[in-house]
Amino acid sequence: MIRNFLKVAIRNLWRNKNFSAINITGLAIGMAAAMLILLWVQNEISYDRFYEKTNRIHIVYSRDKNNGKIDVWNRTTALLAPALKKDYPEVEDAVRFRPVYFLMTFGEKHLNVQGSFADSSFLSVLNFPFLKGNAKTALNDNHNIVITNKLAIRLFGKTEAMGKTVRIDSADNFTVAGVLKDLPGNTELEFEYLLPWTYITKLGWDNNQTWSSSNAATYVLLKKGISREAFDEKIKNIVRHHKKDGDGSTREVFTQPLSMAHLYSKSENGKLIGGRVETVKLFIAIALVILAIACINFMNLSTARSEKRAKEVGIRKVVGARKNSLIMQFIGESTILALIAFIIAICLVQISLGGFSEVVGVPLFINFGNLYWWLFALAFILFTGLIAGSYPAFYISSSRPAEVLKGTFKNASALIKPRKLLVVLQFTFAIILIICTIIVERQLQFARSRDTGYNKGNLVYIFSQGDVIKNYRLIKHDLLSTGAAVAVTKTFSPITRVWGTATGLSWQGSTEADKKLNFLLFEADDDFAKTTGAKLLQGRDIDINSYPTDSTALLFNEAAVKAMHLQDPVGKTIKNANGVNCHIIGVLKDFIIESPYDEVKPMIIQGLSTGYPVVHFRLNPANSVGIDLAKAEKIFKQYNRQYPFEYVFADEAFARKFREEQQDSTLSALFAGLTVFISCLGLFGLATYMAENRKKEIGIRKVLGASTSSITTLLSLDFIKLVLLAIIIASPIAWWTMNTWLQGYTYRIQVEWWVFVMAGFVAVAIALLTVSFQSVKAALMNPVRSLRSE
Amino acid sequence: MIKITDLEKFYRTEEVETIALNKLSIEVKKGEFVAIMGPSGCGKSTLLNILGMLDDPDGGSYMFNSVEVAHFNERKRADLRKHNIGFVFQSFNLIDELTVFENVELPLIYTGVPSSERVKRVEEVLDKMQIMHRRNHYPQQLSGGQQQRVAIARAVVNKPKLILADEPTGNLDSSNGNEVMELLTDLNEHGTTIIMVTHSEHDARYSHRIIRLLDGQTVMENIMI
Repeated sequence: MIRNFLKVAIRNLWRNKNFSAINITGLAIGMAAAMLILLWVQNEISYDRFYEKTNRIHIVYSRDKNNGKIDVWNRTTALLAPALKKDYPEVEDAVRFRPVYFLMTFGEKHLNVQGSFADSSFLSVLNFPFLKGNAKTALNDNHNIVITNKLAIRLFGKTEAMGKTVRIDSADNFTVAGVLKDLPGNTELEFEYLLPWTYITKLGWDNNQTWSSSNAATYVLLKKGISREAFDEKIKNIVRHHKKDGDGSTREVFTQPLSMAHLYSKSENGKLIGGRVETVKLFIAIALVILAIACINFMNLSTARSEKRAKEVGIRKVVGARKNSLIMQFIGESTILALIAFIIAICLVQISLGGFSEVVGVPLFINFGNLYWWLFALAFILFTGLIAGSYPAFYISSSRPAEVLKGTFKNASALIKPRKLLVVLQFTFAIILIICTIIVERQLQFARSRDTGYNKGNLVYIFSQGDVIKNYRLIKHDLLSTGAAVAVTKTFSPITRVWGTATGLSWQGSTEADKKLNFLLFEADDDFAKTTGAKLLQGRDIDINSYPTDSTALLFNEAAVKAMHLQDPVGKTIKNANGVNCHIIGVLKDFIIESPYDEVKPMIIQGLSTGYPVVHFRLNPANSVGIDLAKAEKIFKQYNRQYPFEYVFADEAFARKFREEQQDSTLSALFAGLTVFISCLGLFGLATYMAENRKKEIGIRKVLGASTSSITTLLSLDFIKLVLLAIIIASPIAWWTMNTWLQGYTYRIQVEWWVFVMAGFVAVAIALLTVSFQSVKAALMNPVRSLRSE
Repeated sequence: MIKITDLEKFYRTEEVETIALNKLSIEVKKGEFVAIMGPSGCGKSTLLNILGMLDDPDGGSYMFNSVEVAHFNERKRADLRKHNIGFVFQSFNLIDELTVFENVELPLIYTGVPSSERVKRVEEVLDKMQIMHRRNHYPQQLSGGQQQRVAIARAVVNKPKLILADEPTGNLDSSNGNEVMELLTDLNEHGTTIIMVTHSEHDARYSHRIIRLLDGQTVMENIMI
C-alpha cells in the first residue's frame, strides 16, 4: 500500500511541476531561514559552556552607585581572587584574568597581539584544550608563556613552538610552555597568549592596587553542592570589609554563572536582567513565525488543489479505503515534500551561511557529525510534514465519496474563509517587517548624518608603543615638516572612546550636589582642536608646551558648562577631587565621543598626564591618503623600529558604533524580504484556487457581457481587500514595536505616518503583481470551456 | 439479496427541503439484472449511492444479504463495500496518476490481497476485458470505451456479488456502449447481480426488469422477456 501511495505522490508532484515547485520552494526558503536563525541562536546559547566544570564556574561582577543609578560591571580588584580563595571554604579556586596588548618579537617578526595575564591555575579552571603542554604546569614558571595555535603559526610558521623564546614588549623573554587549540568562537574571553600573573608584579602594574581598583576579571570555581545565592550573600560586602576607610564605600560584588555572562549583560538597578538574551528570544520568535508562514502556505497551496485530489479520494473510498489510510496518505505526501524541501533548505543554508555569518558577525556552521543534529532534523521534517499536511489530510479525507464523485465538493467555499485569514495573517507579518525595516534604516541614517562636532575625515590615530613617546617630538616634527600631516596631538584615549570619568569637582557657587556631577574625562597636550577639528567657542586650546601652567588647564564642552550653570566660564577656577585648583581656558562645541544616539554628556579635557597616550594626526589634504600614510609609516618606522605601523581611521572607528544597528537593519530587511516572498507564494496559491473556483461565475459574467478588465478588477479587488485589512492590523503593532525600540535611543527619529502609507503601498503593489497573473488568466478564459462542464 | 423498505432521503438547504426518495421499497434477488429509469432528478442516483453505501438514508430500512445496514458507520460500510460491491460510473472515475494495471489493482490492495495473487488476478481480468495490451498506459491515453472497460475490470476484480452501474454507457458512442452492455450481461450470466441506472431504453432492454422512478417513488415495474 505504501508503494502505491509513494507512486501516486511522486506522479502527482511530477504532473504538477509548477505547483510542486512553488510549494517546495516556499517551504524550503522558510525552512532555510528558520534554520539559519536557529543556528545563530544555538551559537548564542552555547557561549562558555564547553568547560569541564562549566556548572561551577562563575564570574564576579562589581556594582556601585553612580549619579543616582547603580552600575554593574564585570571587573573587580585583583585583590579579590586571593582573598576569596583564602577566606571562603566554598571556593575551590579563584583565578584572575587581565587583558593586555603587547608587542611579541621572534627573530625579525614583530606582532601586536592581544593577550592576558592569568593566574597559574587559570587553565585548570577554564580548561581550554591544549595541543601541547598541560594546564597544571604551563603557567607555573615566571618566564613561561602559553599561546594559541594561531599565534604559534604566525610567529613560528610550521616549526615547533614549544620551548621557543619570544620577547615581550622588547623587554622580557618568555618560553613557550603550552600551545592551546584556537579559542572557539563561542567564548567571551579573548586572548592569543597568556602570561603568568607574576609578570604584572614585576612590571609594577599592581603597585597601586586597592580594594577600589577594578581592572581584573575574577573567575570563581565553587565546590560541588554550593549554592551560588548563599555564597553571593556572604561575599556581597567583601570590599567594604577590606577597605581601611570602608565607611563611605557602597561597592558590592556578586557572581553570575559564566555560561550566562554572554546572554545577560544589561543591568537594571544593580541586577543583570537582560541583554543578548532578548535578541535571542526575538530571533526564536522570528524563526517560528517564518516557519509558520511557510507551513501555512504549504497548507494553503495543498488545499487549493483539494478539489482535484477529491476525485481520487472518492474513488479510493469507493473501492474500499478507510479514512485513516487516506489521512496517512496525505500526511505521508506532505512529509515527502517536507523532506525534499529540507534537502533544498540544507543546500540553501550551506550557500548562504557565509554571508549570514558576516551579517551577524559570528562564524556559523552546521555540525553534521552530531547525532542530535540529525534527530533534530528528523523531528523538524516530521513536524513540518504533519503540520503542513494535517489540514488537507483531515479535510479531504472526511468528505463523502458520493458528493465528491458527483463533482459537488461543496465545502470548497468553506475552505476559502480560513485561507483568507491565513493570507491576512501572512501579510500582517510582512507589513510589520516592512515598516520595521524602513524605520530602523531611517534611524540609522538619522544618527549617521548627525554632526559629530569634529572632522572625522582624514583623521588617523595610533596607540603609542615602544619608542613613540620617547621620540614624540621628533615624530611630530617630521610628520609636519614632510607634509604627511597638518596637525598632531597626543590624547588620553582615541577620539571615538572615553576611558575616564571625573567627579567631585567644585567651583565658586557650586553646591554639594554638584560634586556628584559625573564628567567624561579626556586629556590632550596641544593642538587638540586643530587636529580633530573640534570647534572652540570661547578661549583657547590647551598648549602644554607653550604654557607650562596648562598642566592644570581645562577645556569644557557646552554640555558641561550648561550642567554647571556657569556664566562666562573662561578664566574660572575649578577645584578637582584631589583638591588641585584648575582653570578653565576654553569651551568646545559639543562633539560625539560616545554613542551617536545619546545626548552629548558633560566632558572636560585636561592636560595630558598618561604615559601611554594615543597619537592623533590629521593627514595633509593636499596629498592623497596613500602618500600621506606612506610618509607617516616611514617616519614611525624610523623612530620606533621594532613596532609595526598600525593606524586607525577615526571615521572607520566611528562607523563601528553603528554596527549593531546596521545588523538590525540588514536582518530586518532580510526577514521582511523573505516574509514578503513566502507570503506572495501563498497569495499566488490562493489566487489560483479562487480563479479555479470561480470559473463558472466568470464564464457566466462573460456571457452576460463583462469585459476582461472588469473581471480582472473584480478578482484582484478581493485580494486587495485582504491586504488592506492586513495593513490596518499591522500598523498599530508596528508602531508600538518601533516606538518601544526607539525609546532605547535618546537621539532618535519620530515615527511618521508616511512610513505606514509607504509600507501599505509596497504591500498592495506586490500583492497586485502576484494576483494579476491569475486574474488576467481567468478573465481571458473562453466561457464556453468553463460552462461546458455544467 | 437487497431489500429496501420505506427508504427516505432528503436534501436540505437553509430554506428548501427536497425529497429525493419518498418511502421507496424495492427488492432485488440474487442473480437479477435490474435497470432503474426515470427523468432527471427522480432519485435514481441517490438510490444507487445508498445501495452502494456511499451515502446513508434518512429513514427506512436497507437489508443487504439479510443484514440491516442502514445505520452502519463509515468503517463498517467501507468493509462491506469493498468485499461485496463493484462500481461502474458514467465518467469512468479512474485515478489519473495510476496506470491501467494499478487502477485495477487498487481494490485488491485495500482488501489486503498479497502482491503475487494481485498480479495474477489483475492480469486475468484485464485479459478478459481485452485491454491487457494497455496495462501500462495511463487513463488519459485511452479511448472512452477502453477507459470504461478498465473501470469494469476494476469493479469486478474483487469478484463482487453486486455491481452498481451509474449510466455506464452515458459517455460512450453506440458501438462502445453495446460492448460495455455485452460485458455486463456476460457478468450477470455468470452470477453477478447488477443494478444499473440508465436513461437509455436500448440499454435497459439488456436487463430482466425495469424499475421506473418518479419523484422518489416507484411508478411502474416492467418485467422483460
